[in-house]
Amino acid sequence: MSDLKITDLHKHYGNFHAVKGVSLDVQAGEFTVLVGPSGCGKSTLLRCIAGLEETSSGRIEIGGKDVTHARPRDRDIAMVFQNYALYPYLNVKDNIAFGLRARKFAETEIEKRVKRASDMLGIGHLLTRFPRELSGGQRQRVAIGRAIVRDAILYLFDEPLSNLDAQLRDDMRVEIKRLHQELGRTMIYVTHDQIEAMTLADRIVLLRDGVVEQQGSPLDLFERPQTRFVAGFLGSPKMNFLKGTLTRTGVSLADGRELVLPGRESLRSGQAVLLGVRPQHIALAGKTVAKGHERIPVTIELVQPTGSRVQVTLPLGGTSVIAELGAHEVSRPGEKTFIDLDMTRAIVIDAVTEKVL
Amino acid sequence: MTAAVHPDRNFKYWLLAPAIFLLLLIGLFPLIYSLVVSFMRIDMMDTDTSFAWFYNYKQLFKDGRLWWSLAHTLLITAIALPVELLLGLAMAYLFLEKMPWRQIFISLLVLPTIISPIVAGATWRLLFDNKYGPINQIISWVAGERIDALWTIKPNLVYPAIIFCEIWQWTPFMFLILLAALSNVDKSQTEAAEIDGARFLRIFRYIALPAIWPVMAIAILIRGLDLFRIFDIIWALTQGGPGTRTETISIYAYTQGFKQFETSYTAAIAFLVVFILTVICTWAIRRMGLAK
Repeated sequence: MSDLKITDLHKHYGNFHAVKGVSLDVQAGEFTVLVGPSGCGKSTLLRCIAGLEETSSGRIEIGGKDVTHARPRDRDIAMVFQNYALYPYLNVKDNIAFGLRARKFAETEIEKRVKRASDMLGIGHLLTRFPRELSGGQRQRVAIGRAIVRDAILYLFDEPLSNLDAQLRDDMRVEIKRLHQELGRTMIYVTHDQIEAMTLADRIVLLRDGVVEQQGSPLDLFERPQTRFVAGFLGSPKMNFLKGTLTRTGVSLADGRELVLPGRESLRSGQAVLLGVRPQHIALAGKTVAKGHERIPVTIELVQPTGSRVQVTLPLGGTSVIAELGAHEVSRPGEKTFIDLDMTRAIVIDAVTEKVL
Repeated sequence: MTAAVHPDRNFKYWLLAPAIFLLLLIGLFPLIYSLVVSFMRIDMMDTDTSFAWFYNYKQLFKDGRLWWSLAHTLLITAIALPVELLLGLAMAYLFLEKMPWRQIFISLLVLPTIISPIVAGATWRLLFDNKYGPINQIISWVAGERIDALWTIKPNLVYPAIIFCEIWQWTPFMFLILLAALSNVDKSQTEAAEIDGARFLRIFRYIALPAIWPVMAIAILIRGLDLFRIFDIIWALTQGGPGTRTETISIYAYTQGFKQFETSYTAAIAFLVVFILTVICTWAIRRMGLAK
């Protein structure tokens, strides 16, 4: 059964067309991440789902019920806001209990639920504190507690981790993933962070300029992007794009170097393309050249160690590309060495339409 | 770099002294002087300026007209203040939403507060006029027969007329202040509460009211003090009449001071008002939690 069904949703703000005909079908228990660069309409879409924005046209169904024009409180949803939106004049317990009291739950039931939620999030000792007395991470836990204490059909998260520092963000990400596994609820999560999207999602919906660019499982999007935008958005460091022209056997780069593309015989020769190569698919040359790999001599330009790996900038095909190599494999700029390019995993993109061929 | 230090460390106080002296002269002197006067026997009919000590204050307690004027003042305050507050709040909520021409509407609504109260009172005096005033005219149209209500003369009509003018003039003040306060309430908090299933009253009680309370309390205090000293509108409309029916404490003090020329007695009235307002203010500031 689908818990959320959006059909051809549009949202205009005056002349600005923020969401342009998005359709979406979210299955019960699924963790869906709406991701995209800022201004792509992902937060607007979420606010439309929540009922905080009136939709311009289209239809929204939650739990099989048409809620397109329903008020937020009648939609059976819970939401976690980016800035936590805790009620500053109520203590933690009353914050979590607020929704239950508004919905006239019995005090004993409220007591039970608040305890369960606060135990689950490890905030049981904070119940009598006020929001201003909490740290950022604690506030976010309270905000999540306020959402999960209710039996909503849909749980919405609007960039919940973006106000936290890096360390805390990683911890909370794990926490949210764990919560989803324990509760098995349907969750819609908005973020601009592709790592959050990759790690949390059952399904990623990648938005660009108010349109769904591609949706699918994280690995699907990562390994089989349909457009240059998707290929460039997911993955860190970003995918390298090399300008070139298709030849009979492969692709000829801007600096004249010819690379053989295995299994791409169907492609039309002479077409202007971009060759997409992930930094992880460039390795330091081994003893032998593996099948489908291309060995290229290079001079290292820049070395950025990240501890476990090292990100190396090197000139290739008339531009600079980034390769992710093992730590200690290269030591300094100016070093001359050989790299192996895994052409079996490279993608070819039409330079004009930017669609993957 | 070292600043040049004047050998006399107290020199700065000498520099400040003239300003402080001037402030005391303008601010404190009249207060003390009128306090002294209130213990004397000054009136404009006589040259006697001997000390009467507490005679004037004793007279206050025997003066029935004074206590009636206090009652009139409290009556107007007790009705106008809550109405202004609630109306202002309702209007503020109305204008919180985005709407076309919002700025223009707000500017128009605030106009009454900009007008000088005496001018407003005089204008309403004309509007309420029983023969030529448009108000009776409009009521006549609605009623279908000639209505000749004596708004500023008939005892049971003067208070509605006065309180109406007062509300008309000062509700925009409440409106403006509460609008500013409400605009500052974090929108995501009210949105979160809406999603949580809360209705208007619950959201107002737990989220909006605590957030706007400090501002609202000050607005209530300012308006309360203003209403206690109400003068111009009533002076323009009825001059305290019919008889002494709408005589407030300020109007009574004015009559005593500038019509009866009882200078010392008027000073005593003034200090009674100062005393009452000080007590109310101190209590209110504590009670409203503004002193924190």
